Parts: sequence; structure tokens; C-alpha cells
Amino acid sequence: MMEGRCAAEPWAELGLSVKPGATLVRRGTGTDVFICTGSEEVYVFSAQEKRVRVKTQLFLALSTVCNMPRILPSHLFWVQSGSSDAGSGPAELKISSDFLAVAADGVSSLLLVGSVLLTLCQTDRSWLLTLYKTPQQSQANRCDVIGSFSLPVVSPSVQGHTESKCVLLCVCLGEVTQPSSPAAASDAGLSRCHLPLRPALFKLLFGVEAALAKSPVILCGLPDGRLCFLPLRLPGSRLRVLQSLEQPVVFIGASVAMETDAGCAGCLIALGKQGRVMLIKAGRAGSERQRGIADFTEGCVPGPVECACVDKSRLYYSTGSDLLTLGLSEGSTGREGQEWDEEASGSTAASLNRPTSLNVSGVVALDQPTCNDAGEVQLLSLSARGQLQRISLPVRGPEEGSNKLPSSAVGRSVGDLLSAIGDVCERASVLEKVIRWKNQTLKQLNQVLNVSFLLTDGAKTEEKPIRCCASVGWSRLLQKDSLNLACVLQNFSPYILERGWTLSLTVLPLSCSPQATEEARSVNYSFPFCSLCPGESLEVSLPVAAAGDASFPVTVACSLVFSLCSLLGGEEAATPPDLPGDCFSLPLNTLTVDWLHALRLISPTSAQKTLPPQSGSNPAGDLRAFLSSRRAGCRAGDGAPRPEGYSARVRVSSELLGHTLRWQRSDPDPKVSESAPRSFCVSLLEWLLSEECGGVRMGHKGDKTDISSSVICGRAPNDATVKLTAKESPSSGLQVQVESSSVAAVCGLHHAVLRRLQVKTPYVLKLTCNLREASRLFSNSSSVVFEAL
Amino acid sequence: MMSLLAKWTRENNELAFNCKQQNDELNRDHNNLFSHRRCSSDFHKLLRKLQGIPPHSDHAQLELSVVYNACVCLTALSHFEEAELLLTQAAHRVLELAGEDRGTSDPSVLWRAALKSVAGTALHRHVLSLLCLQWGIWLAKSCLNPIKEFQEEMSLLERQGGAVWDDCRTEAKEKIPNIPRLVLDPRRLAELLKICTAIVQGAERLNEGWNTLSALQAAAALPAPRALIAYTHLLSGSCLAHMNRPQMALQCFRRALETDPRCACALYQSTLLYRQLGNVQAEIQALRILHSTLLLPPTTEPAPAAGRLLSPSLFLCSQSLGSLLSVPSALSVLHSLALKCVIHDRVSEGVENYLDLLAALRSEDQHGVTANTLTAHAVVSTLPKLPRLYLEAAAALLMARRPADCMALCDEVIGTILDLLPDKVLLEDPEDGSVAESREEREEAESGLVKLLWAAAAYLLLGHCYAQQEDWKQAVTHYTRCFNLLVKVHCKNNAFSPQVSAPDKESNQGVDLCVLQRLKGISLAGRGISFAQMDRLREALRDLHLGLQALPEGVSAGQWCGEVLWRLDRRREAAACWEKTWSHTCPPLAEALPVYAQELQSGPLLDPTELRSRLKELGPL
Repeated sequence: MMEGRCAAEPWAELGLSVKPGATLVRRGTGTDVFICTGSEEVYVFSAQEKRVRVKTQLFLALSTVCNMPRILPSHLFWVQSGSSDAGSGPAELKISSDFLAVAADGVSSLLLVGSVLLTLCQTDRSWLLTLYKTPQQSQANRCDVIGSFSLPVVSPSVQGHTESKCVLLCVCLGEVTQPSSPAAASDAGLSRCHLPLRPALFKLLFGVEAALAKSPVILCGLPDGRLCFLPLRLPGSRLRVLQSLEQPVVFIGASVAMETDAGCAGCLIALGKQGRVMLIKAGRAGSERQRGIADFTEGCVPGPVECACVDKSRLYYSTGSDLLTLGLSEGSTGREGQEWDEEASGSTAASLNRPTSLNVSGVVALDQPTCNDAGEVQLLSLSARGQLQRISLPVRGPEEGSNKLPSSAVGRSVGDLLSAIGDVCERASVLEKVIRWKNQTLKQLNQVLNVSFLLTDGAKTEEKPIRCCASVGWSRLLQKDSLNLACVLQNFSPYILERGWTLSLTVLPLSCSPQATEEARSVNYSFPFCSLCPGESLEVSLPVAAAGDASFPVTVACSLVFSLCSLLGGEEAATPPDLPGDCFSLPLNTLTVDWLHALRLISPTSAQKTLPPQSGSNPAGDLRAFLSSRRAGCRAGDGAPRPEGYSARVRVSSELLGHTLRWQRSDPDPKVSESAPRSFCVSLLEWLLSEECGGVRMGHKGDKTDISSSVICGRAPNDATVKLTAKESPSSGLQVQVESSSVAAVCGLHHAVLRRLQVKTPYVLKLTCNLREASRLFSNSSSVVFEAL
Repeated sequence: MMSLLAKWTRENNELAFNCKQQNDELNRDHNNLFSHRRCSSDFHKLLRKLQGIPPHSDHAQLELSVVYNACVCLTALSHFEEAELLLTQAAHRVLELAGEDRGTSDPSVLWRAALKSVAGTALHRHVLSLLCLQWGIWLAKSCLNPIKEFQEEMSLLERQGGAVWDDCRTEAKEKIPNIPRLVLDPRRLAELLKICTAIVQGAERLNEGWNTLSALQAAAALPAPRALIAYTHLLSGSCLAHMNRPQMALQCFRRALETDPRCACALYQSTLLYRQLGNVQAEIQALRILHSTLLLPPTTEPAPAAGRLLSPSLFLCSQSLGSLLSVPSALSVLHSLALKCVIHDRVSEGVENYLDLLAALRSEDQHGVTANTLTAHAVVSTLPKLPRLYLEAAAALLMARRPADCMALCDEVIGTILDLLPDKVLLEDPEDGSVAESREEREEAESGLVKLLWAAAAYLLLGHCYAQQEDWKQAVTHYTRCFNLLVKVHCKNNAFSPQVSAPDKESNQGVDLCVLQRLKGISLAGRGISFAQMDRLREALRDLHLGLQALPEGVSAGQWCGEVLWRLDRRREAAACWEKTWSHTCPPLAEALPVYAQELQSGPLLDPTELRSRLKELGPL
């Protein structure tokens, strides 16, 4: 368990993007930190001044200070780190070829052990570990080859990780006898490359000879997963394979897992790329068989492992997205003499699977952990974005931490804990919100998709479960009459139309003056709405035409528009979807408003009175009508007799219409079935005026009762007075006559009457042929009578 | 076209000049690999430019010169394959120039055709120089057959060479800038190759059992670097040694050393010969000189002209030559020297050598490198395992009566090994047909046995030390520890007698078992002697009897057994025992067994003359 919370203190932004796997951070002597990013550059960062002190152009192998894996595959440069005078050095150091130490191909890793430089390279058939003698202070920079060791490359199928680097580590035989001798402290400088290992483990792994010779042993982890070792100072030694991780080795380290030998690591750790951990310890003296055998414990942690480091009892590793720590000391709390029973080893294996997250992401390189005076473990890390940061881990260990901690420290740590909890809560709530929003969006999207499939199904418009119907009605506003369309969007589908949908209505007159352009003629109205549940309807109203406008019939194309923007960015949903890119449109039905819809009824008496001067109910309209008739008269010329009116007749067989009307009514009224001639004409007119046609219903409020005679008068939208007369003659059946002084009104109404008959009585289809002849007639004579059937 | 040609010629000349200059500078450093690499890539680039246009007689001379330069650099880098490819390409282009490229793949046919096509023209000497390089590559790859085929051309090259190249030089003096410069004089190259060929061929034939004396002696007269001449003498010596003329062979080896004092292989061959002759003092002397020769820093003497770019070692990589030129590592030589001294009664000298050896092993400069890549000779390590080395040194110290030092070494060995010792070692009869154990188990048992023997020997030596210091109680303790370790070894097959006294067994285990038996005998004898000194005669007698059982030829055990019997007043038995002991001759120390497993005569000794006088007093039976 990890108590407390770790603090990441950013040190520097290097302003570079870092390649994982090739990056290295090393603390040098003093306060300098060397950062090697896998490119040709090396940064020397001064921890004291918190700034990048030197930036060098090429790879350096700094003498006795640090060892860095290859940057340039074929050239290694040797630069003596000069005086550590902070600030006096140049900001950027060019490394010329004078510093060239070794020219070798494909160097995968290197290590400095005392005065020996080791490089590991891969050739076609073997791994080659080459030893170089490092230059002395005064001499040239070139390193002389001492010799080399090779290890055959295993079958190429196993590898395929040629790009990943190798790991080199040097361990040596630890001194057990004097655990805290001053001698051990004096060569602390060497300890970086010489990790002292417990003698028992050392002898088990590397043999008696290496132990007798007190030879440092080079451990190398290869990308093919093999762990090899080479006793450095043993005559006739070979590079031998110790074990295979079967995945690229990312890290080898040693840890003081046993507390009994101070200063000596009792446990070797190898970490594979995919998270396999191998702990190598000496078998306990207690058991018979284990005596001469090293104990290899394998485990798995969640990978992929980018980099790792180890301190006394913990392994820290980064997966790129998180920094994790893994305790190594569990299972070895027993003293040396105690039994190494199955239980203990079992708990070790189990503890391997439980790394603890430190909540630091993006770490691609770690330096060896250090411990400050307060007992805090500090890690130096480099993030993928090139940020150098120091991560301080809290003081840990229940037995050592809790006992010593003063009350103020306890209070602080409680505060830390609380703030950590707060942070976590905040993060969690944000995450929750995002997840909820995403879920909702998905649901919404599902509805949208369902609606889209429904509407693009190819079914006939009338059968679409989402459709519009409308009613028209005149209204007067600011002394101006206008025809309003109340359009109702009905949702008969099982889906909800949610936010993001917009009802778009396009009003387009079918005929109008040829001067007007397409854009000018059509008017688009959109009505965004929030939600429309199944069975609900939405009513919007829009002006179709003003009084005096004769551009009828008018089609109203209804469509549903969905904007993806509104789905993703909920706030801007209110803006109308005008960009075609981020919204799509699904056509609904089309409504037609014709002359009959736009007809305003007036009482026949007033119509008779005003029929010749064609006046409406309002004086202004009367005047205008009068003026227009005068003008027309003037224009017609004085000699020519002014036609007093135009008329058109539609004749329908009475039985047919009777059928239709009866069929139309749900309950066959005996009165109607008997069909008194007068009432038949009245009902025809009533039907004509009240019938919903093309989805549009007329809204004659109050006028309806007036239809008592077979003659109705009305005012067309162009303010012309029209008279509709229904007559029944035994010879020719029913006849509807349209009379008006305006030829446009006559034609429009005639068309509207025909349309209704056409839609409702299929038999009337025959009319069309005659109608065509009639229209030819219409072009020749000024007074036209349409004869039909 | 002409200006381009001139430009390229100038480029070539500049490159060649740079190459030579760098080479001269870097020769001191032994690290000219890098500059060679750069040179070869530069030449290669230039060559690619040149070969981008079809072969033409105008620039053929330049092209062939660049090919020559590039190939010399590649050969210097040991990139023989690439060099050969370039040479073959060049030969094809020469044939193309003459319009008779038949696309042959056989190199000897190709080169013959190429030579023929340019016969009598100015290009002839260029093609010859390329052939010379090809010769070198064949030599480096140990393809001696084509070299034999071209023997005639080679000699032609040499004979005509001088004249032709002198021509060239006078020509060059007339119009310097137009002559493409070469990085290495082909005449020098030919000279170098000739002696190298003679050496390699000599080694090959020697290996096959032929007499090559005359050829080698002829080669010794060739103009060549000293080291190479020394090799010819060495080979002559080996040849004579094969012909069973050791004295003449030694003469040849001496001549080789006179020619090149650093010729370590000649010294080594001499030591082998002295050993064969049984001349121990001379062998020790030779070993000492060999060791000091091997410790010398690498040569810094200026290499001859050809050697600057192309080291002779490039061409001397034939396997049979390698085995002749192989020399043990300095440490191995030191070890054999030390062992020889100890065995042949030069203990103090041996001790010094052992101490030197241990110091060398512990030093920082020691690296476990067996193959030294800088020199042509293969280095063999015949060094025994380190614990054995330590124990040998300890035994030498004991013999030199330095028990404290001996004890320090033994303690170190014990300290290292003790916690790795197996509780029990179970051995199977190696001649037993049924392989019951897996190989790993047997290996484990063997390594366990070896460790056990080391630890036991260390305890034995400690016992000897205490005995030498007359601390009998401690001596008994350590002899007992030794014995207790030794009884951990069990033989599965009872019929498999542990009485293997002769170390002539083939397998390691045979030797190990022999050592085991001897250690048992010696430790028991030592304990018996210690008991005798403590006047615990019964225990002494028991141990001495057991010791004699384990090692019947044990001299001190026999003598002391008699002594104890005498003291117990069993004089007749004592007399019999002494008589029996004296019937064995006291064996000298042998090299086959570890020194510590032999009787070192370090403990309390009985005076045989005194014993004999006692016997006389006793009178006949």
C-alpha cells in the first residue's frame, strides 16, 4: 500500500518530444543531470539552477559520470566532463570528430565499468560485447579495443524487436563481513556501475570462479528476452545465458530485498517489455534441495513497461500512462534462518501482481531513485512531452513511518490525504459527467438513426409516421390581411425527436412573375424544437401570402433537419443549421395551398352589391379594386367593350359526386342520400370549401354557417370578388360555375375545384382531356367557358 | 569530357593523398579503422561516378586506379567480399572495353581473358595490379588453388613489375597531374603477398605432411618485414621438428627469434620441444622469456610501406597457420612456469610466480579476453579453474614454509565455496551402460564433486599448515573436516572400485575420483600423524591404517604407521611396515595430478637412516 500522495515538481520544459525507449536521464556528479533524448542531442541540466546548462550536439559518453546508451549507431564520442563550473560553460557545445572514441556499427548499448567501456552491438549472426580501454586523462580520445565476446543470435522469429535497445548492468560481489564499513562508503562513486550483490546469490548465479576472482559481472538483457552474463576479469570467460524472459528486457536492477545484508542487493530484478518480472534470489539455506540453486520467481505486472528503476525495496516503472510501484520486500520479512516455505514464496508471487499506481502519466525515462534527508524517495523523470520533473514519494513503510512521525506531520499527511481524496473526487466527477454525456449522445444518436431510417424508408409520403398537416386562415395585423398557415408536425412514430431536430418549411409559389428569381420566390422557415415525443405534435405558424398577392397555389415543402453540431456541442444547438456540412435533411410531405384555401367568403348580398365594382369589405380594398378596374378599362382601350367577367364551369355527374360525398361522410345521412337538389348543391360547395386537400384545411371561421345557398361569394387573395355557383340540371348533372372579373382568380379557382374533384373522385380523371382542349380555347377568347363532361 | 576526367583524376589524387597522410599519422595509434572506412566510402563514391558511363579507353586508366584504391581500402577493412565484387566488375568492364565480354563467372578464366585483352597496352599494368589484389583476397580467404593457377602470372608481375612501374614513374614525372595516384605501390603489395603466400602455403603443406623446407628457406631470402621472415624460420623449424630433428628445429626457432625478437610463437614452439626432450631447466628458461615477451606492449616500430595500409595479418589467416602461430595467454604461460618450478624443486621461484599470477588475476587490467583481436595469433588459455589455481598456489606456499599465507588462500577458497557445497554427491559408474540419470543431473553431481574436492583440499592444506606449525589439535580438526567432506561422495555402483590410483582415466570424473581417493588417504594419514604427535597412538594407528588402505603407496603414512607400531612395541609389525614402504619408491611430484593431491612432505618427517638403524638393532627375524 502506498500511503500519502506523490508530488511531481516540474523542473524544466525541454520543449521537445521524446521518443520512448531511447531516452535516458542520468544524474551525474554534483547536481548535473544528463538527458539524452534519442536524437543527436544531449542536455545537461543543472539541478541547482533549474535550467539547461549545456546542450550538446552529439552523443557523449561522459567519463565516470554516467553511461548512456547509443544515440549515433556508429560513433561514440568521448568527452571528459571538465570543470563543473556552473554557468561558465558554453550554452551549446559542439562535439567534433576529435572526440570520436569508438567507431562501431550498430551499438545498441554501452556501459562504463571502471576504465573499461563496453559496447553491445548486434551483427548479422551474433551479439557482440566489445571491451574498450578508455583513454587516460592526457591522451587522445580514442578507445583501444581490448577484446570482444559474442553470443549467437537466436532464431529470428523470436526477435523482431531490433529497434529496442539492450540493457547492460554491472554487478559485483558484495562484502558481507563489514556491512557499513567506511570503505564501502568511499567507493560510492563506483557503486553506480558496480552494484554489490549478496555473495550467496552472486556465487550461485555466476560461479565460484567469478567470486574468487572478485570479478565484476556484466549482465545484459537482450531484446530477444535473454539475460546473459559475463564475468569481466575471469580468464577464458564467455558470455553465457542466465535465463530468458521471452520478451524484450527493459530493465535489470538489483534490490535490497533482504534487510539482513546492509548494502548488498539480495535480489536481481529483470523486467520485460510486456510486464514480466523476474526476481532472482538465493535459495534459502533451510531446505535441502534449494541450497545450491538460485530461486527464480516470475510474475506479471500490467505492461507495457517503458522504463523502470529500483530502490531498496521497490520497483518503479512507467507504462507511459501511469507510474506504478511494486513492493519487493514482501515475503522476505522473515529472518535469514527462517524457513522459506511455500506460503512465503506464494505471497511473493502474489504481491508481484499488485503494483500501486502513483498517478503520474507520460513518464518515459527514470533515473535511479534517491532518498532525501526526510526519507522521501525522489525520482527524476522525463515525460513524453519533454518535461523534466522530480517526483517525490511520501515517506512510506508503516512500521518505520508511523512510529516516528510527529503529530504535526500526521496532521499534514491527513491534510494531504484529504486533498488527495478531493482531487480524486473531482477527477471522478468530471469523468462521470463525460461518460454520462457520451451515453446520452449515443442514445440520442440512436434515436436519430431510427428516425432517419424511418423517413428514408421510401414509403409514400402520406404513410410516413412523421408528417405535417396544416390549416390556413386569414388574419389581419396592422391593417393588413395575410394568409397564415398553421402547420402541425405530427409524430406518430415510436421515437422521440429530440434536441437537434429542426422543422424546416420552404414556401414556394408554383406560379409567379417571371422576373422573380428562384431565391426570391421561395422562403425558408426553420423551427428548432426541443423534443417531440411519440404521439405529440408541434404547431408552428407562418405567413404564406399577404393580401393582394396572387401567386397561388403555393407549395410548402416540409423537412426535418438534424444538426450534428447540436449533438456534440450541446450549447450551440440553438443556432439554426445553415451549414450544409454538419447537418442533414430528411424530407417529409409537401403541402399545397391553392386558391380555394385562400378564398375569403363574403355574404352573397354584399357580394351582389359589390360585384360589379369588385370591392371587399374594407374601403381601401374597394378603392383599390375600383382603381384597378378603371385602369384596366383605360388600358383596354376605349373602343373595345370591357368584358364584365370571366367564368368557368365544371360539370360533374351527380351520382358520382353523390357517391363521393356520401362516401366522404362517415354516417350516411338519410337527408343527404335523398339528395334534395338544393341541399346537394350546398353540400357540394360546403365540401369544396371545407375539404382538406393536400394536407391543408381551410380555416373559415364563422363563415361556414353562411353556406346555405347554392351561390357563395368570396374574395380571392388578389382581392378580386369571385362567385361560385353550384347548379343541378337533370341533363348535365352538377355544375360548378366560377365567375369573376379577374381571369387569374377564375383560373386559379377552377384549377382548385378540379384538383379537389380529381383527388377525391377518381372518375373525374376523364376530365383532363377535355380540359386540355378547353385551355386551348381559353387562349383565344376573352370570355371562356370551360365545358366538362 | 576531358575536364571532367581531369576533375575526377584530381579528386582521386586528393583522396589518395589524404588517405596516405592519415595513415601515416594514425599508424601510431593502431586505430585507423575509421579513416579506412571513410577512405573506402569516398573512393567508392568516386568509382560509382566513373562507372556511371560506359567503359572507354580514355578514362579506363583512371577507373582501374580508383578500383585499385577502393579495393585496397576495403581489403584493409577485411571487407573481402565487397572488394572482390568490385574487382570482378572491373574485370568485366575491361573485357567490355575490348568488346569480348563473354559473361564468364569463373574468376581465373575471367582474369586470364582480361589480361589477354589488354596485352601490350598501357592498361596491362593496371589489370595486373588488380589481379594482384585479387591474389591477396584469395590468400585471405585461403583459396590456394587459383593462386597456384596464377603462379606464372604472379612471377611475371614481379619480374616485369619493376620495369613497368619504373616506366610509369618516369611517365609520371613528365605529366604529374594526369596520372592517377595509387594509395599503395603495387610492387610493394606484390612483395608482401609473395612472402605471405609462401608462409601460408608452407603451413598448409606442413599440415599435410609435406616437406617444404626448400620453399621456406627460399622465402626467407625474400625482401619482407622481419616478422614475416621470422615466420618462415618458424615454419622451417616446425618442419624439422616433424622430421624428428629437434636440435635443427631449435636452431631454426633461434633464427626466428634473432630475426624478430617478438616472435612469441617461436619461443612457445621451443618450450614444447624442450618439454619433449625432457630438458626441464631449458623449458623453464624458455617459459620465462616467453612470459616476458608476451607482457611487452604491442609493437610501435614503423611498419614497412605496404604494411601501413595492409597488415600482413590480413593475409595470414589460414587455419593450419593459425594453429602453428597460436600462443597461450601470458597468464597461462605464467601458470605453467610456476607449476614447473614448484614441481621441479624450484619452490621459491614457483611461489613468486604464483603470487604474480594471483596479483595479475586480481588486477584491474585483467579482462577475460581470450582472443586478442589485434594480433594475428590465436591466444589459447590453458589456465585451470581459479580455485584449483589458488590451491596450487597455497600448496606452493606451504612447501615454501609460509603457512600463514597458505592459510589465507585456503580460507578464501573455503569461504567462497562453503555455502555452495552439496549435502551429498551420488556418483554413477561412468562405464555403466544404463543411463539412469539425465545429463543435467550428472553435470550437477560432477560440479558438486569438483566443489567438494576443492573445499576438502583447502581443509587438507589447512591441516598441513597447522601440522607445520605443530598445532596438532587444529590440524586434527581440519583433517577431520576434510575427511568429513570427502565421505559425502557416494558411488552408486559398489563394484566400481574407488581404487583408481592411476590418473590415466579419460574422463574428468576418473581424475576426480583419483583425487578423491588420494585426498582421503592423505587426510587420514595426516590426522594419524597428528594423533601420533599428540601421543594418542590408538587413534593414530587406526587413521594410519585407514590411510594406507585408501592410498597404499602413501610414504609418510607407511613410515608413521611403522613408527606408531614401534612405539606400541609391535616392532615386528613396524619392521614389516617400513620394509613395505621402502619397497615403494617415493614418487616425484607429477603434473597430471593437482599438486595438493600429492604428498608434499611438509609435515614431520622421520629419518629413514635412523629407522634403518633401529631395524638393524631389532635384528633379523
